[in-house]
Amino acid sequence: MTDATLTRAGASGRSTAQLRKSLKRRHARERRFKLYGVLAIAIAIGFLALLLGRIIEQGHTAFWTHTVQTEVYLDPARIDPAYPEGTNFDQLVAEQQLARLGVQDDEAMSASRDMRQLMSAGVAFEMQRLVRENPEVIGDRITVTLPIGADADLYYKGELDGEGEEQFRRLNDRQILWLDQMRDQGRIQGQFNTGLFTRSDSTQPELAGVLGAVVGSALMLLVTASLALPIGVGAAIYLEEFAPKGRITDIIEVNINNLAAVPSIVYGLLGLAVFINWMHLPRSSPLVGGLVLALMALPTVIIATRSALKAVPPSIREAALAMGASRTQAVFHHVLPLAMPGVMTGSIIAMAHALGETAPLLLIGMVSFVPGVPEAVTSPSSALPVLVFIWENASERAFHERTAAAIMVLLVFMIIMNAAAIYLRRRFERRW
Amino acid sequence: MRFNLFRQLDGAESGGTAATSPLLAPPHAAHQEPTGPIKIQTRDVSVFYGDKQALFDVSVDIPDKAVTAFIGPSGCGKSSFLRCLNRMNDTIPIARVKGSIRMDGEDIYDKALDPVLLRARVGMVFQKPNPFPKSIFENVAYGPRIHGLTENKTELADRVEQSLKRAGLWAEVADRLDAAATGLSGGQQQRLVIARAIAVEPEVILMDEPCSALDPIATAKIEELMDELREEYCLVIVTHSMAQAARVSQRTAFFHMGELVEFDDTETIFQNPRDKRTLDYITGRFG
Repeated sequence: MTDATLTRAGASGRSTAQLRKSLKRRHARERRFKLYGVLAIAIAIGFLALLLGRIIEQGHTAFWTHTVQTEVYLDPARIDPAYPEGTNFDQLVAEQQLARLGVQDDEAMSASRDMRQLMSAGVAFEMQRLVRENPEVIGDRITVTLPIGADADLYYKGELDGEGEEQFRRLNDRQILWLDQMRDQGRIQGQFNTGLFTRSDSTQPELAGVLGAVVGSALMLLVTASLALPIGVGAAIYLEEFAPKGRITDIIEVNINNLAAVPSIVYGLLGLAVFINWMHLPRSSPLVGGLVLALMALPTVIIATRSALKAVPPSIREAALAMGASRTQAVFHHVLPLAMPGVMTGSIIAMAHALGETAPLLLIGMVSFVPGVPEAVTSPSSALPVLVFIWENASERAFHERTAAAIMVLLVFMIIMNAAAIYLRRRFERRW
Repeated sequence: MRFNLFRQLDGAESGGTAATSPLLAPPHAAHQEPTGPIKIQTRDVSVFYGDKQALFDVSVDIPDKAVTAFIGPSGCGKSSFLRCLNRMNDTIPIARVKGSIRMDGEDIYDKALDPVLLRARVGMVFQKPNPFPKSIFENVAYGPRIHGLTENKTELADRVEQSLKRAGLWAEVADRLDAAATGLSGGQQQRLVIARAIAVEPEVILMDEPCSALDPIATAKIEELMDELREEYCLVIVTHSMAQAARVSQRTAFFHMGELVEFDDTETIFQNPRDKRTLDYITGRFG
């Protein structure tokens, strides 16, 4: 009997030691796993910071631009008050700029050409407008603030310099000299680049803005949301709450899940074939873009809504039905309001996805150069991600910073949408 | 004799000192009181879930103005049977019900009868309190609202107040009708759910283990309430607690393996059961 007790005590002593050993191993494993988790998050944050840092570093200069203040003599001999558009204001301004710098234009007018290049292509438009609105200024000597060209702008920002061989440079020695002189005269002013937000795409980088693309994207999202949300949520409610469960609903469910995984460019092809070639809807329009994106967003909306509906406790349905509510009443009075936060989140994610989608838009012609702001969902339009794509491919150096700026605008657009999602979610949740 | 012994056993089982608590004693000697006429008559009711038969040929006569208790071990079919009485089984796609159930002589499984209308006449209270995640007022007002039972706001407010009073909850919530119903305690929630059912003025109230998620004090309150409600309504409760069945019901049905073993006055069931299975169950030999 004593023997047995001893053995048992010994055995238990051993097992405690074993337990301790294994416990040590288990704790080590837990620490290791936590470390992996922290590492994973650190890497993710690192890449995000790198990405954002790079974009901001490249793009922040695009929000700043320079103007030159100059005195212009509006020579009545060269301006027809009835038709100011006929005047070559570029040349007029360039000549007077040269005069202020004390430079004589040569026979071939190469000096004034060089000076014209330093000025924005928008100078002519601004002068024309000025003269058309105030014809009485013709013959006067007026002081105006005019936008400068993209290359000159980059020079002032320190992005271009006088290094390297002159013939391969965007700015020649003479132009750089003039730019320095103008700055020394105190006529160059830096200011916030409002044009970036008030103008649409242009071949001239200093005139290019994102407004057209922002409006185009907004119109497109409007079309997408007004189609994908009601149809998607409706389909999900029917499938989840009303449809008899069986083979057909199973097949539909599998197919919806598959559709959510179809590459977006395939939706672009579908849109091209159906909406443009067959239904003859206008090409490059937010309408077609919105339709394609709605098709693309539908599966996501349906899946998100269904899972939100599934998450509503069945006791709520039972409670409503037992009260004598009809099925529709049970769903719309109780289940859907409870599922609403989930539905909102899923829908906004789908919309944000649609907002950033580029590939299908390329196929339906939204990649074309559209210099204006779309007036309706049927007018030709650009979209923000497509604008990024176009600008990235542009050769002018000044488009690079604008590409990054457009990306930032796109990101801000998305942040606003997500903030709206969070706000709506909170509001719906508070209503329980 | 056996009845008394049993009650103590059950009380000890469900929480020691509670057995001697005066709260658990029957509100008054209810068992001798007469019951009303037959309200619900079922004949050969069978329930199938897919291929599986959950209930076999149940025939009972449920009296009005009385509490009828269904007891039996888990999975015996008592809840399935209860859910036949307001056609809640219709909401389960694979469930099928055979046989006839008549309420006041009217076949409730008649194709012409709208289950929505039936459920307005037969209220139900579930095991877990399931108030809507809205305000207390909205919970009680919901039924009258969807059924269009009140003409205007004052009438609706009156009805909400009356229902809450009848459910014995008014004093506790009168000053916070706009508060979230989910903020109430479990027992209060269950009484709120009863008030919600009462608000549509049903004829029958079904309760599926209404106290199984509640503490003894809350349970006592609900039981008291049942005793009051039976003056006006036909109450049918499913319960796991035999003590509860003994305390509140006038008629008791014992179910086992999907069969109705015995249906009689509660006193008879607990003191002088005819079937050996009933005896075994109420003396705690199984279940």
